[in-house]
Amino acid sequence: MKNKDKGTAKSISIRSMNKFFQAVHVLKDLSLEVQAGEFLVLLGPSGCGKSTALRLIAGLESISSGELFIGETNVTNVLPKYRDIAMVFQSYALYPHKTVAENIGFPLKMAKTPKADIDTAVLAAAQQVELGDYLERFPGQLSGGQRQRVALARAIIRRPSVFLMDEPLSNLDAKLRGNMRAELKYMQSKLGVTMIYVTHDQIEAMTLAHRVAVLKDGTLQQLGTPKEVYSNPANLFVAGFMGSPPMNFISGAIDNESFTTKGVKLPLPGAPKSNQVTLGFRPEDCRIVKAGSGAMDAEVYTAELTGDQVLVTLQLHGSQIVSRMPKEFEIGDTQIAGIEVDTRHLYLFDSESGLRITADSTR
Amino acid sequence: MTKPAARRSLFEPPDIGQMATATKIVLYTVLLAWSAFVLFPIYWLIITSFKTIAAVNQGPYFLPWIDFEPSLHAWKELFVNDYRDTFRAYFNSIVISLSATALAILVGSMAAYALSRVKFAPNLITILYFVGLLALTGVAVGIYDVDWRVAAATAIALFFFLARAIGRLYQLRLQNGDILFWIISQRILAPIVVVVPIYMMFQSVRLLDTHLAIILTYTVINLPVVVWLMYDFFNSIPRDLEESAQLDGATMIGIFREIILPLSRAGLAATTLLVVILCWNEYLLALFLSTNKAQTMPILVAAMNAGERGILWWTMSAVIMIMIIPVVIMAILLQKYIAKGILVGAVKG
Repeated sequence: MKNKDKGTAKSISIRSMNKFFQAVHVLKDLSLEVQAGEFLVLLGPSGCGKSTALRLIAGLESISSGELFIGETNVTNVLPKYRDIAMVFQSYALYPHKTVAENIGFPLKMAKTPKADIDTAVLAAAQQVELGDYLERFPGQLSGGQRQRVALARAIIRRPSVFLMDEPLSNLDAKLRGNMRAELKYMQSKLGVTMIYVTHDQIEAMTLAHRVAVLKDGTLQQLGTPKEVYSNPANLFVAGFMGSPPMNFISGAIDNESFTTKGVKLPLPGAPKSNQVTLGFRPEDCRIVKAGSGAMDAEVYTAELTGDQVLVTLQLHGSQIVSRMPKEFEIGDTQIAGIEVDTRHLYLFDSESGLRITADSTR
Repeated sequence: MTKPAARRSLFEPPDIGQMATATKIVLYTVLLAWSAFVLFPIYWLIITSFKTIAAVNQGPYFLPWIDFEPSLHAWKELFVNDYRDTFRAYFNSIVISLSATALAILVGSMAAYALSRVKFAPNLITILYFVGLLALTGVAVGIYDVDWRVAAATAIALFFFLARAIGRLYQLRLQNGDILFWIISQRILAPIVVVVPIYMMFQSVRLLDTHLAIILTYTVINLPVVVWLMYDFFNSIPRDLEESAQLDGATMIGIFREIILPLSRAGLAATTLLVVILCWNEYLLALFLSTNKAQTMPILVAAMNAGERGILWWTMSAVIMIMIIPVVIMAILLQKYIAKGILVGAVKG
């Protein structure tokens, strides 16, 4: 895989990949097919193995067992520099003693490209990320967002077939993060490269990804489009991880085709009898009503105006329930309020295994 | 808005970020006193080297041309009468210090880089087995007159046959921290303890009074310093940089030349300076390992003390002067790199 197919997006195939650090099983039997030109996000809490997965794909760590294909080539034991991969690190990994131009041109310099070609390529790449005026500066003289762009330019200058990104936005402030998110998405579709992007931020995952792979404790929980993962979570973990604020959970039992817990009885036709279930519904699928007129009553905890909406937090048997209300809503000095739940958007999980239970009346 | 015409006291700073007058006075007094304390011996050295014997013995005189009449007799003795001794010692010191420093930096920084990047886990039992075999070989050759080739071959064979089996008996493994401590422990050891064994070792291989003997000894005693200092410098270089360079297509040598070397230049400069000074000033080992041909400057200085004419303060001062000069020049040259390195290193995400 020399220069002939440079810059064309390639598919990635991960087949039963495992990684052990001594006795610790960090990545458990991960299998993923990433299509050429796809934007795949690896999402999960810290320590879930997502960064390890990325480092295995990059070749910075050895694969304990399993196989990795980039395009048609088996790269399981191939050195990183022959994998035709560019990676953007969380720390950006800019070379502090080199100027912006030298940083961007470094991959070409290592490939022994003639000096004149490097210069034109550096200029083109720098203009693409709007850094044309900063070429002679050192990374230490740039802002966080500019450093991020240098790292991006250094990645795109090689025209790799696969892009890897390890939480590239987590060191930026909120506003810049929003801008860069849009730019990344635009750039990925314009360049048409395959992208694997690691993050713990579910909003980044929702907005950027073609498909999201949710990981927990080294195990793939669910793989699907952002919409699927959001509205059809496979288990309790995915349901709780996607969405901000997260899904509300109430534990109880199913008896006589209705969900029951202290003070709550919600008919769920078709639900199988079970002693330990968790009922879930999203903040946008419930409304605050007068006490006694909803599905359940709960104690009002706080109300937060975020600008376009009011997030009302209530307490029910020690667990918190958040309802997303329109910005006109005022809670006043209400102590106890009712919660009306949209019964078309209820989720039911087995409390022990965490798996979804489907019934006619739940999603 | 104009500032209120505040009458600040002596003890309050005139503005934010400035020092109070009293603080300034105290600070500069202390600094001046300290400078005088440090610089006076050097001044004393300079004037003593230009004093006549009488001026030294009748002293103390402090001011040339006023207290005493400067004379070049000490310098003349050094550079005209005894010029062979002087230049040989000077030459020896330069050759030995630079060679030993170069070797120590080369070997030590490679060791430090490995210790900072690779996790070693040597088996303690295997190491003890190796040391035991080494000792047995020594005993066999030294006491029982076994031919050294036979002893060495037997020991190597025994090691390779049994090392793994013995290593498996007991799984206690050392870590990088243990290796680092073992290295520094050799510097904690007072040199006087090992001076006689080292002497006998070089005696038996007939290397006494040679440059090689002193260079090797200085390299070994300074390795711990290099390893410890460079270990810290290499540790402060983020691994991300190397991994990124790896993905950018750099080879091991490319990474070392393009990333590691430039980023650790400050550390290398500081360490080099320190090791050169340590070698330049070393006295004890040089005293044992050199008799005549390989004499270094510190030995020459000490020799001024031991002549039948009593202590030759004037020539001793002159020798010390020419001994200080190259170190000062080196410090000035390298200081630029040290200061620059500190600035360059400061990039974080």
